[in-house]
Amino acid sequence: MMEQNPNPMLQAAGVGFNRGRRVILDGVDLQLAPGDILALLGANGAGKTTLLRCLLGLLKPDAGVVRLNGRPLSGHSPRQLARHLAYVPQAHAAPFPYTVRQVVTLGRLPHHGPFSAPAAADLQAVEEALTQLGIQALAARPYTELSGGERQLALIARALAQGARTLVMDEPVTGLDFGHQIRLLERIERLAADGYAILKTTHHPDHALACATRVALLHEGRIDADGPPADVLSPAAIRRLYRVDVELLQAGSGRSAFVPAG
Amino acid sequence: MTSDRHRGRSLLLPALATLLLATTVLALGAGRYPVESGDILRFFAGLAGWQTLESARQDLLYNLLVEIRLPRVLAAILVGAALSVSGAAFQGVFRNPLVSPNLLGVLSGAAFGAAAGMLMGGSWATVQASAFLCGLAAVGVALAVARSFGAGSLVMLVLGGIISGALFAALLSVVKYLADPYNDLPAIVIWLMGSLAAVDIRDAGWVALPMAAAIAALCAAGRWLDALAMGDDEARTLGVPVGVVRYGVIGCATLLGALTVSMAGMIGWVGLIVPHVARLLAGPGHALLLPASALLGASFLLTADLLARSLGGAEIPIGIVTELLGIPVFLLVLRRARKGWN
Repeated sequence: MMEQNPNPMLQAAGVGFNRGRRVILDGVDLQLAPGDILALLGANGAGKTTLLRCLLGLLKPDAGVVRLNGRPLSGHSPRQLARHLAYVPQAHAAPFPYTVRQVVTLGRLPHHGPFSAPAAADLQAVEEALTQLGIQALAARPYTELSGGERQLALIARALAQGARTLVMDEPVTGLDFGHQIRLLERIERLAADGYAILKTTHHPDHALACATRVALLHEGRIDADGPPADVLSPAAIRRLYRVDVELLQAGSGRSAFVPAG
Repeated sequence: MTSDRHRGRSLLLPALATLLLATTVLALGAGRYPVESGDILRFFAGLAGWQTLESARQDLLYNLLVEIRLPRVLAAILVGAALSVSGAAFQGVFRNPLVSPNLLGVLSGAAFGAAAGMLMGGSWATVQASAFLCGLAAVGVALAVARSFGAGSLVMLVLGGIISGALFAALLSVVKYLADPYNDLPAIVIWLMGSLAAVDIRDAGWVALPMAAAIAALCAAGRWLDALAMGDDEARTLGVPVGVVRYGVIGCATLLGALTVSMAGMIGWVGLIVPHVARLLAGPGHALLLPASALLGASFLLTADLLARSLGGAEIPIGIVTELLGIPVFLLVLRRARKGWN
């Protein structure tokens, strides 16, 4: 029943978007392949959110096209799209105290449809997603009572329950404490190792350095650079993006981080 | 423990249906001429072809139960279920547990329509039609205001509803001011307090069909409402047609609200508190919450109507009973319900 595509891939070709006469995105090209963690880095107002919404099919670009598995997004039905492409929003508050299991079960909506209850296969996929993220113990807890990090894990579990192999995450670690940030980034690395294709936005260069196979710099609506973190993330690039002077520190472990210069 | 709760929830709807059945038998039996529950059951068995009562008694009960009491009981069931389901659906679609079916002004519009119909000295049917149409018009005004300021924004819809509700409340005041203070004005004021006394069986039958259809449609949209409660973008990426669902739910809930006012006047609080009690029993998932609200709302309004006609020597308007009964219930519920809010 579930179609398995061996090569899930999200691709933006020449995507442009205008708001009135203001150009928000201009000729954006991006590729996302299995195993990729693509960090989309940009300052506030650089167009990250707009690009994200175009990639998810929530906005229709004024120019160019977004393809999923080789087919334009508009060629997929909404339910079909939801089975292949999942959106992981920033952890937010829900208005009603759904349990974590109920939240994750929503990921099965594109499979069982709105008018029938989740079938045994759906419930099994939910348990697997909970297990994969190690949050079975939270399953019966109300989502509204969780910490930000736990909510983020629940939302990722929902994306996995969707059966999607391409995950688009909006600033997944923003608002989490230091320990949760590092643990979540490790989870994301493990998902990529399992063959998921992951795109995440961030405005923190260190997160792109720490956890990404590729970094794309979005500057004033255009992709400035796209490549391995070590090549793309230089003090010069950071200065251009954020207009601050930084230097790159090398830690003993081979990791590195940016610190303000001077 | 989880599986216990799960089992408990699968028994919830049958339990609420049983409660409704028991309340119905009780409501049919109560009145100036009390009938015992056993006789009621035997009477209905007789209707189904298994007669155990004397035929004179059977005829008497037919007159009493079917012709006099049943229309009113059916109306209470329909109106209670309709108000509760539309309230729960509104709370889901607006992601706000404090929203009532009047959010977009449907009850204010319908109240104005009914009052205007009475002022013009129209027949009962005219008053009902006028209430219904003005209820729809009020929501139309709210949607038009929302559309002209921001496409599809929830905040704009709420503001549109506030504006529309205020407009029709003002128009209602104009009608009251113009009304003849000896005849029309008391009739309008009393009607606005709500009553199920004037319902006859043809009315109930005519309104039952669209009401039942709208209630069923809302119950069927439950899983979509869960996705919608998480946010528009998330719902869309889960394959939910957000615009269709939002306006479909608003349309059904508006239809229900306008029909209840045209049938029974303004009955407050039911649409706000019953969904809260139902949420405590059924949890927040709308697939179970909406049918649970319908059954619970029907029992609640039947009980309120029973109190309305048996407490005092004369009948008390049911809108007053639901408010007096509703406030303590709401205070009790609030203690537990607010745990989920932040």
